[in-house]
Amino acid sequence: MITLVAPRQRFPLVITVLGLALLCVFFLYPLSRIFDASFLDSKGAHFTFANYVKILGSAFYQQAVANSFEIGAAATLLTVFLAVPLAFALARLPIAGKSALLTLVVLPLVLPSFVSAYALLLMLGRAGLATQALRDLGIPFGSIYGAPGIVAVYTLTLYPYVLLPTLAGFKAIDVSVEEASRNLGASRWRGFWTVTLPIVIPSVLSGALLVFIETLENFGVPIVLAEDKPILSVEAFKLFVGETDQNPSSAGVLGVLLIVSTALVLLIQRHYLGRRRFATGARRSPPLIPIGTWLSRLASAACWAVVLLSLMPFFAVVVLSFMKFRGPVLQGGFSLDNFADLLGRSARPLENTLMLSGLAAVIAAGIGVPIGYAITRFRSGLTNLLEIVSTMPFAVAGTVLGIGLIISFNSGVMVLTGGWLIMVLAYVVRKLPFSVRSSASILHQIDPSLEEASVNLGVSPVMTFARLTVPLMLGGIVGGMVLTWVTVSSELSATVVLYSGEWQTLTVVMFQALEGTGAGTAVAAASLLIVITLAPLTLVYRLLRRYEASLL
Amino acid sequence: MDRPLETRTLENPSDALNLANITLHHVNRSFGTVRAVDDISLNIADGEFFTLLGPSGCGKTTLLRMVAGFAELETGEIRFGERRIDVLPAHRRNTGMVFQNYAIFPNLSVNDNVAYGLRARKVASSQIGERVARALRLVKLAEHGNRWPHQLSGGQLQRVAIARALVIEPVVLLLDEPLSNLDAQLRVEMRAEIRQLQQSLGITAIYVTHDQEEALAISDRIAVMRQGRLEQIGAPDEIYRRPASPFVAEFMGTTNLLKGNVAAQGQSIRVGETEFAMPRIELPQGTSLSFSLRPEALRPLIDDERAPEGWAVVPAKLARLEFLGALTRIEASLSHGAVLRAAWLDLPLHRLKLGDSLSFAYDPARVTVFT
Repeated sequence: MITLVAPRQRFPLVITVLGLALLCVFFLYPLSRIFDASFLDSKGAHFTFANYVKILGSAFYQQAVANSFEIGAAATLLTVFLAVPLAFALARLPIAGKSALLTLVVLPLVLPSFVSAYALLLMLGRAGLATQALRDLGIPFGSIYGAPGIVAVYTLTLYPYVLLPTLAGFKAIDVSVEEASRNLGASRWRGFWTVTLPIVIPSVLSGALLVFIETLENFGVPIVLAEDKPILSVEAFKLFVGETDQNPSSAGVLGVLLIVSTALVLLIQRHYLGRRRFATGARRSPPLIPIGTWLSRLASAACWAVVLLSLMPFFAVVVLSFMKFRGPVLQGGFSLDNFADLLGRSARPLENTLMLSGLAAVIAAGIGVPIGYAITRFRSGLTNLLEIVSTMPFAVAGTVLGIGLIISFNSGVMVLTGGWLIMVLAYVVRKLPFSVRSSASILHQIDPSLEEASVNLGVSPVMTFARLTVPLMLGGIVGGMVLTWVTVSSELSATVVLYSGEWQTLTVVMFQALEGTGAGTAVAAASLLIVITLAPLTLVYRLLRRYEASLL
Repeated sequence: MDRPLETRTLENPSDALNLANITLHHVNRSFGTVRAVDDISLNIADGEFFTLLGPSGCGKTTLLRMVAGFAELETGEIRFGERRIDVLPAHRRNTGMVFQNYAIFPNLSVNDNVAYGLRARKVASSQIGERVARALRLVKLAEHGNRWPHQLSGGQLQRVAIARALVIEPVVLLLDEPLSNLDAQLRVEMRAEIRQLQQSLGITAIYVTHDQEEALAISDRIAVMRQGRLEQIGAPDEIYRRPASPFVAEFMGTTNLLKGNVAAQGQSIRVGETEFAMPRIELPQGTSLSFSLRPEALRPLIDDERAPEGWAVVPAKLARLEFLGALTRIEASLSHGAVLRAAWLDLPLHRLKLGDSLSFAYDPARVTVFT
């Protein structure tokens, strides 16, 4: 076969075939097993629609679907209302401490959202600090369990998905279109509604759809806050853990429902919005709008309030981790007991987190960079297919992928369950879309004629990739690896399905503490996680922007 | 294993062992339904400066990239001397390419950029320094070896690109619109320099451009391309003076492309009511055809000046004058309204008024008839 291919195409062809093979085995095959499971009877022998009839006919699961969509829609709307004004203020108004804000605003994207949910629980839950304080003051306080808490956490942790593209949109507007609108007699206010805002609407919507997908897939936040309210991603997990039959048919049905809904939303995003970009290609950002001192102070205060509020839970968790707990109850007084408890029992969760996410980061880059190279530099039917398949994991909830991997590699030729490898595989597959897209976006900034020049001077394509392209991409690759490392270390949804015995991670410790009584251990784990996340980010915070750009 | 390509040495061109004339034999390539390169056969002599000229999308760059190995041939073959090279991967062809945007490696110093190809060829490091220095001297950048690309101007980057391509002693130098990113003044200087360098080294060069003036100034021979096909190959003056088709006539500069019918005796062509005398045409009377007459071949007859012996005269009316300093462009209308363009140096403008009758004389030998 190789001999039929022009010499120039051999190297990318090899990458493409290997990449597709890998995704087939560790992504498409597990997904297909979930589809299979949903259409087979409990013995796994006969084709049937009974599972769908059973699940879709049950009021409980209908409620789960409805809840997931309602919560997702509410959170999406709220993020838009929060993020768009904030983006406009950051792009066009004189805001105090703007560069600090721009740095902080990105953090919720990489900080673990379920830590935020857990902090909310500790502060405002039934036995929460603030709840008791408020009650002592005689102020009635409603429940944060169920929809209100989940929506609040989603809004405060996912708003950067809308904010960042919208901010970029506002900045990319050529000021002359606004001037044209005023020149034609429109007031500044009218100009904003008829020109400025419509231009950024596609950016707003594409960010909003990402928020919606995240809410559908998210497992950590509802597991902390949902209590008795059924949520699709949580119920899929519960069914899978609880199912005793040979064939996890019910979990399969919920998994398929989740995949289909996220895939649909993603399809809408890519195909509907892909063609609606009103980039006016401004070379310079539009100038700030002069507003009075008081207005400017007000706007600054509002921006800071939103950003600090979103980071407050994380701050609270770090502080709480140094306080004394007895069971789930806070005792007051500072100590290192929590950390002693967590690490004294075993340092394995911390080591596992560092090791597994490190491995995942290296492998995801090792696979993602060549794939990104093949799909940017050598367009063909096969590379187009690879591009689509390598983006698809984004639409698959971690829980669902985890279940698929277990069904697929529990028996047969390749038995992987029960070890660390299957966890790393899940992480690599989940982070591959990011790795591929960020490599592609770095490559778009490197002129392909550089590679041609190298080949022309006598260096083979493979060596050109290794010695010229990779060094030129290095900054971006390292940044991407750090971000993969950071996001994997706070991964919960696939981990909780796949971990076994000795391979607990910090997130698993937190998850278990939620069920039991070890609040102190959980807070210490959450606190460690935040430190692990923030420390490398301070080194590469500028690269965070690329993370965001590669998702959209 | 392939044996390494033999090449002449940079310092002593007469040592050439391998007089590599480059042959393209029925080369084809389509992109979808577009035939980007349509059955092209060419023979480029050793040491020749050969230019591929044509409008954008005519296939000239694709053809050059085929020689370099960056575009595949569907059918046909390319040879350097006796050796077939289109089956070789790009990095084994030993061509030196200068890219439109220079493609200087931004992560390497000027020295390392130039040494890149030598290192790929495993040249002893003791020799590399010497050869890099010589190549940089050649392009007048001897002092710039330790600089970084971002510290250089566009013209200097261009020189680095040329040095980097020459230092590997390639069989052929391939230049893909190398001057298009430079400003007008520098473009004129650099093209003279490239030509001078090529001649002193005696290296074969294939040059791609869409600029006809550049092509005329620099080339030994020009191939004019259109829609993937060769329109004409020839020396610059031949292409300009005796274009093979109306397309070439118009592409190679302003011309009067007129349509008419062969008049009696085949000695002239009638355009509207005006007769243009021609060299003898062996076609039946009334045959419709077109011909090209360059503006500078038309001499305005002012103050009852007489036409030189053997020249033809056409009467017209002065319609427009455009004074451009040394040159004045004239537009005159023929009796039936068609426009005749002429250009003349040092025209006595004050004696001309718009609307006046003005006759033009021309040497019939300067007319190109397209049959």
